[in-house]
Amino acid sequence: MRDETVGDMLGRRGFSRRGLLKFAIAMTSSLALPPSLAPVMAANLAAARRQSVIWLSFQECTGCLETLLRTDSPTIAGLIFDFISLDYQESLMAAAGSAAELTLRQAVAANAGKYLLAIDGSIPVADGGVYSLTGGRTNVSMLQEFAPGAAAILAIGTCAAYGGIPKAFPNPTGAVGVEDVILDKPIVNIPGCPPIPEVLSGVLVYFVSFGRLPDLDDQKRPLAYFGTTIHDQCYRKPFYDQGKFAKSFDDEGARQGWCLFELGCKGPTTHNACASLKWNDGTSFPIESGHGCLGCSEPDFWDQEGGFYTSLAGGTGPGWRNAGIAAATGVALGAAAAIAARRKVP
Amino acid sequence: MNDVAKALRGFVADVGPGVALSLEACVHCGQCAEACQFYVQTGDPRYTPIHKVELFKQSYDREIGPFAFAYKFFGLAPKLTAETLLEWQDLVYDSCNMCGRCSLICPMGIDIAELVERTRHGMFEAGLAPADFLGALAEKERATGSPFGLTSENFGTLLHEIGEKHGVAMRVDEVRADIVPTISSIDVKTYPGSMAAIAKILNHVGESWSFRTDGFDADNVSLTAGDRAGQDAITKSIVNAAIGCEAKILVMPECGHSYTEMRWEAANSFGRDLPFRVLQITELMAEMIQSGKLRVKKVTQTATYHDACQVSRRGGATAAPRVIMQALGVELRELEDAGAENWCCGGGGGVALIKRAQPLRDKAFALKQKQIEAAGAATVYTSCSGCRQTLEHGGKAAGWKVTVASLLELVADNLAP
Amino acid sequence: MLLSFARGPGMQVAALIMVVGMFWRLAGILLLRRRAAHAAARNPFGARLLGGAVTVFTRTIPRRTFWPRVAPGVALSYVFHVGLFIILFGGAPHILIIHEIFGVSWPDLPKGVIVVASGLTLAALIALLVRRLTHPVLQLLSTADDFLSWLIVFLPVATGILLSGETVGGYGTLLALHILSVEALMIWLPFGKLMHVALVFAGRGVLGYNFARKGAAT
Repeated sequence: MRDETVGDMLGRRGFSRRGLLKFAIAMTSSLALPPSLAPVMAANLAAARRQSVIWLSFQECTGCLETLLRTDSPTIAGLIFDFISLDYQESLMAAAGSAAELTLRQAVAANAGKYLLAIDGSIPVADGGVYSLTGGRTNVSMLQEFAPGAAAILAIGTCAAYGGIPKAFPNPTGAVGVEDVILDKPIVNIPGCPPIPEVLSGVLVYFVSFGRLPDLDDQKRPLAYFGTTIHDQCYRKPFYDQGKFAKSFDDEGARQGWCLFELGCKGPTTHNACASLKWNDGTSFPIESGHGCLGCSEPDFWDQEGGFYTSLAGGTGPGWRNAGIAAATGVALGAAAAIAARRKVP
Repeated sequence: MNDVAKALRGFVADVGPGVALSLEACVHCGQCAEACQFYVQTGDPRYTPIHKVELFKQSYDREIGPFAFAYKFFGLAPKLTAETLLEWQDLVYDSCNMCGRCSLICPMGIDIAELVERTRHGMFEAGLAPADFLGALAEKERATGSPFGLTSENFGTLLHEIGEKHGVAMRVDEVRADIVPTISSIDVKTYPGSMAAIAKILNHVGESWSFRTDGFDADNVSLTAGDRAGQDAITKSIVNAAIGCEAKILVMPECGHSYTEMRWEAANSFGRDLPFRVLQITELMAEMIQSGKLRVKKVTQTATYHDACQVSRRGGATAAPRVIMQALGVELRELEDAGAENWCCGGGGGVALIKRAQPLRDKAFALKQKQIEAAGAATVYTSCSGCRQTLEHGGKAAGWKVTVASLLELVADNLAP
Repeated sequence: MLLSFARGPGMQVAALIMVVGMFWRLAGILLLRRRAAHAAARNPFGARLLGGAVTVFTRTIPRRTFWPRVAPGVALSYVFHVGLFIILFGGAPHILIIHEIFGVSWPDLPKGVIVVASGLTLAALIALLVRRLTHPVLQLLSTADDFLSWLIVFLPVATGILLSGETVGGYGTLLALHILSVEALMIWLPFGKLMHVALVFAGRGVLGYNFARKGAAT
């Protein structure tokens, strides 16, 4: 089983070569690759060994894993589990306790230097990292032990990529992202709270097909999915351009599907593929459902100035009380200057 | 105290919120230059009005302004030096009539003319009022009460002489008088007929009036020189003289700055409301014409009118001369820029008393000449002896056919029973 | 992140500095010793107040007698000021900010209008700089403040145009730069010639009042 190629395994399952090609066409499109690469991808996939993936869950809510599993029918997301061998995943595997630990060590040893290390959840570093333990071991120590043997690390979800919600002020656990702990391994950040399932499967397929990671941007995100903003692809952009904004939820403009900029949509500054790939197999995405983008695939999205419902044009001002104090201070300073001046004027 | 320190003291004295606001507000738009006869006629940007008060502004910023400590600490404005004071002398004196056209154009509402007057305080303290001969006259005035050293006694004698010569009864130093007229020193020297004219008119309407030899010389050269002490002293003597005979009306002569000083400044420096009204002679005549007290004959002539800047634009008494000329039946052809928008004759504000400023005055006069000639009238009337003299001098040099005349004397010559 | 700073601490600090500075400067001016005016006013108090208020508006347009010499410069300046007014009070994101601070809003102008206004504003700004550099009077008068203030106004206009054009640069970066440039303007405003946003009303009003007192033309 271990040495079976993907093509063999798919053949056993009754999945034809044509089906694989159709899959490859869909993937190359999703990855914004030239269509001519589809047959190459299909051939590579057929000849590939199943890729070992070791998945460590740290300080997370399990939402990133759930999003990958929420498929009603065989889809791209579903098929991915045929191309990879998920050798360790605490929520899904049957083993527990010391049996699970043994599985982990065996998988690491058997695939040394070749496994993909998938991380979800942030890594707490405060107080020696005691805030998240697996079998008594801190996340930090586990990451530091298993990163060296990986071919690359996938930081899945905003928590693993940037620290996410646990990092929100005041960050009591000292939560950080993978890239703040591991500095000497290729890392792919796949942010999103949660990330779009097709994005993860696209990265994995690319790796399995071409033996390397896809092109990344300066925040280590796959350019194919994070190269544009929600705003760039949003179907409501014409309303933005025409200045048609919903002023409150469920007002006339909102019902007409107008742009949600004034209701705090962070689409223009959020890089992700939600507006094109959408969610739940292309059903919808937050803006289409009438709520502005929260910016959940960007660092520190939870702490952004003014919160989710303050537009990008606004932020957090000093407030009227502080402004009043400032005015009084100004008058006092001016009065002091005037008094000094009066002394000079005979 | 050295001259620079004295200048500084003069600059910062009496800076209130209004002056401070003016000094803070300039945005360097350059419009004031376009209103100033000296810039317009020479094209020299140094004559930009707000530039003339630059030393005043710098001193304000360093000493009085809200950020004075920062200006001093970081050296954001240069310190006053004797060299720069001298460099600015001709900008503050020779090339400014304090006519107020710049104050009329400034989009920020800066009363630049007022700022120049204040700047002269500092310049004077540093001994920089041009000596030939504004400074000399101011010194004489401070010492004797008159720029030509005319004493009370001499004035009394002079008045009686003029009375005899022109056949009018002069009233001098009466114990009580409702109306107290004053004179300008230019009238003493050049236009003694105007003193006779005042007497003739007041006698004609039968008012209780009197000249006072203890307060008569109104043209206040000290003001234009920037001598505050001298300015106050002259003003006080006139005010006291009027109070002394329980005057109801103090009349300013055909003169510009005397009106500005007595009507709009005197009470402020006196520190309390004056117990009498202050009227320029044209205002008095207009009032009496309108009340029917004064009746004039009709004259058939076309004329134009030159407003004195201090009386009209700065003083608010633009209507009075027109009332008079209408009563006289003068066919008035207004200048292209008349009334409050009038161009200065070029001699105001002491500039006529600065010998070396002659070329500049000539350039300013060229503007007036053009406008007066364009009005196509045989005579230009005015109600300021300073303007009258400046226009006459300029007209002579230009070989003019236009006659320059006094509105006061025209009325006096055409009294109707 | 730069944008977070700009929308948060940057905005707070800039706003507070602006408020402190403006009140400081105005108090320092208005609290100087005032001499009582004793000269008999030509007009009653009501007329004087009215004179002051009216002058705030009438000084907007120079008197006709001055037009031949000042019209070009004044017109250019108004293209800039009116254009900026249209952008600030007609542009949707700016109305949004006003609403967030003051709770009032009004309909925005079509984006095409803002685009045209922005172009004219920018062109006028550049033309005004050229004028300041070449006119002899302005060459004599101009100080570092004039040029710094120009730049500090130019940057928000330029970054705003780039941001709304959405062709050059990333939205997030341009938005951060735009907000930061506005914050720079706010910080500088009380201390240089930009303070004329407040002083113009005070100056015209005081002159109008004083001149109305004398019955003199305002």
